[in-house]
Amino acid sequence: MRSAACGALAALVMLGPGLGGGAAAQRRHRTGLWGELGAGAAHSRVTCSTCTDVVRSSGSGGYIRIGGVLSDRVLLGVESAGFLDEAFGFTADDTSIVAEMETITVVVLWFPWRSGVFLKGGTGVAQGRFTVPSGSAADTSKGTGIGMTLGLGLDWRVSRKFAVTANAAAFITGIGDVILPAGRVDDVIATTYHATIGVTIR
Amino acid sequence: MRPPRSLAVLAVLTLLFPAPVPALQTDSTRSAATSQRPLLAVGQTLLINVFVNRFDAWALREDWAANAGSQSWSRNIRLGWEWDENSFSTNLFAHPYHGGLYFNAGRSNGLDYWESATLALLGSWTWEYFGESNRPSLNDFFMTSIGGIALGEVFHRVGATIRDNGATGRRRTWREIAALPFDPMGGVNRLLRGQWTARGPNPPEHDLGAFLLRVHGGARIVADSITDSVATLPVAIVDLRYGDPLRRPYGAPFDVFGARIMVSSAGLNALRTAGRLFGTDLNRPAARHRHAFAVNQRFDFISNPAHQIGGQSVEAGFYSLWQLGRGFGVRTQVFGSGILLGAIDAPGAGFGERNYDFGPGAGLRLELGLERRGVTFLTVHSQAAYVHAVSGASADHYIGFGGVELTVPIVRRLGLGVHATHFSRASQYSDRPDDARDFPELRLLLNWTAASRPAAAQTR
Repeated sequence: MRSAACGALAALVMLGPGLGGGAAAQRRHRTGLWGELGAGAAHSRVTCSTCTDVVRSSGSGGYIRIGGVLSDRVLLGVESAGFLDEAFGFTADDTSIVAEMETITVVVLWFPWRSGVFLKGGTGVAQGRFTVPSGSAADTSKGTGIGMTLGLGLDWRVSRKFAVTANAAAFITGIGDVILPAGRVDDVIATTYHATIGVTIR
Repeated sequence: MRPPRSLAVLAVLTLLFPAPVPALQTDSTRSAATSQRPLLAVGQTLLINVFVNRFDAWALREDWAANAGSQSWSRNIRLGWEWDENSFSTNLFAHPYHGGLYFNAGRSNGLDYWESATLALLGSWTWEYFGESNRPSLNDFFMTSIGGIALGEVFHRVGATIRDNGATGRRRTWREIAALPFDPMGGVNRLLRGQWTARGPNPPEHDLGAFLLRVHGGARIVADSITDSVATLPVAIVDLRYGDPLRRPYGAPFDVFGARIMVSSAGLNALRTAGRLFGTDLNRPAARHRHAFAVNQRFDFISNPAHQIGGQSVEAGFYSLWQLGRGFGVRTQVFGSGILLGAIDAPGAGFGERNYDFGPGAGLRLELGLERRGVTFLTVHSQAAYVHAVSGASADHYIGFGGVELTVPIVRRLGLGVHATHFSRASQYSDRPDDARDFPELRLLLNWTAASRPAAAQTR
């Protein structure tokens, strides 16, 4: 572990000057009020306190972020992100459930080096919704709880008003108990990883 | 890892980054005397994890630390998050303190509050996945990062207030040592940069502005309605009001905060802080009666033999000061809060070996204080909260807490204090009978008060 940590530090040492090298030539990435919209691939892992294994699921993810500028390096905003899998199941051979995860979080975006690379962190509320087909109708169970997000991204400036933003982020939704027709699923936590491309308007 | 080795690594890292990035703009949250070193801050954040892991593995011989490695990393990434079963004080106090180290790796390298907040998240995340062999714990991640931000900023400011860059000799050294428990990262970085002895201007955080410091000592008498018992414990309380939300214009997060720490023979009983994240005056600063809107970040940890409650929350509301003449005034606070993640003991419930629940919620807080020349001597407070459990019992918890605190000056800065409080809770469970409890408490105290207000802001 120590060697790995030292390796990571060495990589940071080598990357750092490069990341910050072009800083002086670049302007700030976003100014005033900004908004961002993006979508991409998502992968979710769902666990619960009584689950013996993790349920993995792939689907699509998207997000919308709006906010303002606190300083040259720090943006503060509100982000809503979602995940949808229409072939979800709490057991390996079940694909009958439609799973939806949503988080609404207050996020901080920090641009340490002005190269467009940013770190993102935030916290807020989350909701998970599981819909099970039941004849002509459907049973829907919802859980509401806490949401957190952590990620990193790259703002690639296209023009004065637009940028393309690449994001890699994790969204954690702790939504409590979910009651399905087959029984109660306790203390559900879904961790959803997003790889998205977005458009930023400023 | 033995401390000297880690200090040597820190020293090498410091030498690796001799040219800090200059601050881009004036920011009152950032020390004017400290240049920005974002890369070093990130490096130190990760280094804290290495240091803590090796200390636990080598000195304390903890298996969960020694067994952390590529196998556990792979498993943690594959399995993801869970809720853990650690004790209340570990989850609600020790982890936030740990998170404060990450946060202050940023603050002591010239980063501001918001920049440092991302480091608390980064440090906590990497620790949960890679620092221990256990599966990453969602409640740890939350409490370490969000609690670490709140405690870290309070401790950063307390440390900056204790230190004095204008002092010399033994007095200077003792100040640096006294600040260490609050802000170890700041202390180590200052030591490595030779700032324990160098003279210079103090950072803006050194200035408390209008402040109130009150130290109480005495006895607390606690009644437990369930066991029908009464216990008497010795108690020490420290109250700090750093800045005045009605007299200090908003400049930066936590430029105004309040904190209370309570210790008794049962250990740390309470640590509560509320720091201003944002604020704005609602009328002219020269007006006779003052009103201000504020958004505060709260950290609450209450743990005693009768009950345990705590968590991280954000509150929004109003401060008011009503001048009565002859230096007297009435202060009011009305705040509504969103509990991001709260914790409350759930007797007979909980999760596994853990006997408390986690969950988000909401609350309301009212406070009325009578003061003379900035020194409060009577406070009436009331607080209500709701917590919806998402880990533990399937429950909804309703909490009420209120009381009266009176201080009667006797001579110079000494006074006699009487606090009478009442804590009540009602828990509704979906799969067991509802539960209601209440805990009245009386404190008899001798207290010492120090207070200061800028001359231009004297109460009329």
